[in-house]
Amino acid sequence: METGNRRLFLAAAGFLTTLLAPAAFADDTIEDIIAPDIERREIREANIDSENFEVSLLGGIMNIEDFGSNGVTSLSINYHLSEDFFVEAAYGMTDMAESSYERLSGSAPLMTDEERELSYYSASLGYNFLPGEFFAGSDYAFNSTFYLLGGVGNTLFANEKHFTFNLGAGLRLLPTDWISVRLEFRDHIFEHDLFGETIRTNNLSAQLGASIYF
Amino acid sequence: MNIAHASRPSPRTRIFLVTAVLTVLSMLTSPARAIPPFLENEPVTEVIVSAPYVDVHTGPGRGYPVFHVVEFGQTLKLIKRRTGWVKIETGRGKQGWVRISDLDRLETQSGETIAIRQPDARDFRASRVHLGFSTGQFGGASTLGLTLGYRFTANLSAEVRATQAVGDYSNSQTFQVAAKHQPFPDWKISPYFAMGAGINSTAPNATIIAAEDRNDTAMLAAVGASMYLSRRFVLRAEYTNHYLLTSREENQEVNEWKLGIDVFF
Repeated sequence: METGNRRLFLAAAGFLTTLLAPAAFADDTIEDIIAPDIERREIREANIDSENFEVSLLGGIMNIEDFGSNGVTSLSINYHLSEDFFVEAAYGMTDMAESSYERLSGSAPLMTDEERELSYYSASLGYNFLPGEFFAGSDYAFNSTFYLLGGVGNTLFANEKHFTFNLGAGLRLLPTDWISVRLEFRDHIFEHDLFGETIRTNNLSAQLGASIYF
Repeated sequence: MNIAHASRPSPRTRIFLVTAVLTVLSMLTSPARAIPPFLENEPVTEVIVSAPYVDVHTGPGRGYPVFHVVEFGQTLKLIKRRTGWVKIETGRGKQGWVRISDLDRLETQSGETIAIRQPDARDFRASRVHLGFSTGQFGGASTLGLTLGYRFTANLSAEVRATQAVGDYSNSQTFQVAAKHQPFPDWKISPYFAMGAGINSTAPNATIIAAEDRNDTAMLAAVGASMYLSRRFVLRAEYTNHYLLTSREENQEVNEWKLGIDVFF
């Protein structure tokens, strides 16, 4: 028992030493021995605050195939990679209404209230194109850009997760350079087998919202 | 100590083995190099243009119209940047956006050269934290993965991994902690090895079979490669072998392939 403990301690110490030891010697550079005979140009770096993140809150209508159109709210975080591309992580929630079958047949509902709560999350890549301006009267011009989005994610539908593709397009309008108004249309495509056989569903959403850049 | 006792693998032996393997890993590329220090400078806001002229756009993009031009010798205030653009204010109070690559010749009042640097491969090598997104296949199911990593040395990092797999018959979630070793961090396509452990919980689809959820210990061994793309992004591909220690008769092996993007900070 005693030997086991000691061996474990030794192993841990050995591991730590190999991790720490090279770091301790890394500061010794060759500069002390050979002085370089190069004239250096002094270059300072400008340190400017960057605003590449954008947080958006959107609301609108989402149509879940067979289960009607309902209000949807979503939150998204975007990171602008370049003037052309951005990545987006989004989360949204909506409810599902009764299907036509449930209403017409008068039979018991297919799902419980909890199962009618639908949520999704996704990671997408966006492409800004058609940059332009909107003119409000003769005094104001707002920058705008049209964008395309596509990505993958998950949808919690009837308490089951479904792998989901999304495709969409939207418009960003910038009243100032740190606020934007977004209007977005998206198709959330996933397959489910709630009705016995597997079907692919197209679920469209139209949302309007605002975002802040930071 | 009798022989029977010694031959039985105790939890302690397992810890010892894992530690030993980690030690060997870190020694493989000895001496492990320290992460180069990151350049920190005092902020410079007022600069003088030393290029013949620079176009000023209404927005941070090549499509937005040029409405003003700043000339050689003019003073500019640098306000903020977005992607490859900087918002500036001229001495007369005009605000607009200029391309960072157009501002390669800037000076301060005292004649020092100023550079506005974009994140590049050097920053990637100096970075400590990365966040990754990935998608792939986990034993036939489609996956989405999230990784948070911290780099101790240029070679060795620790990662927390979460994977959500959605299959035709079941869904699963995996949470693992792993040690990652990059023997050649300077290579353009840099290979890495990782090993770790965590839990995997599988829930069969209720519409198909009524079965219970399972929670198993999931060990992983992975081989992958990462490639610096541009700015703060790294492309990453990985093959992972998961070994699930189940409560059933046999342990289960699951193969995972994934492709993803790491963002470093």
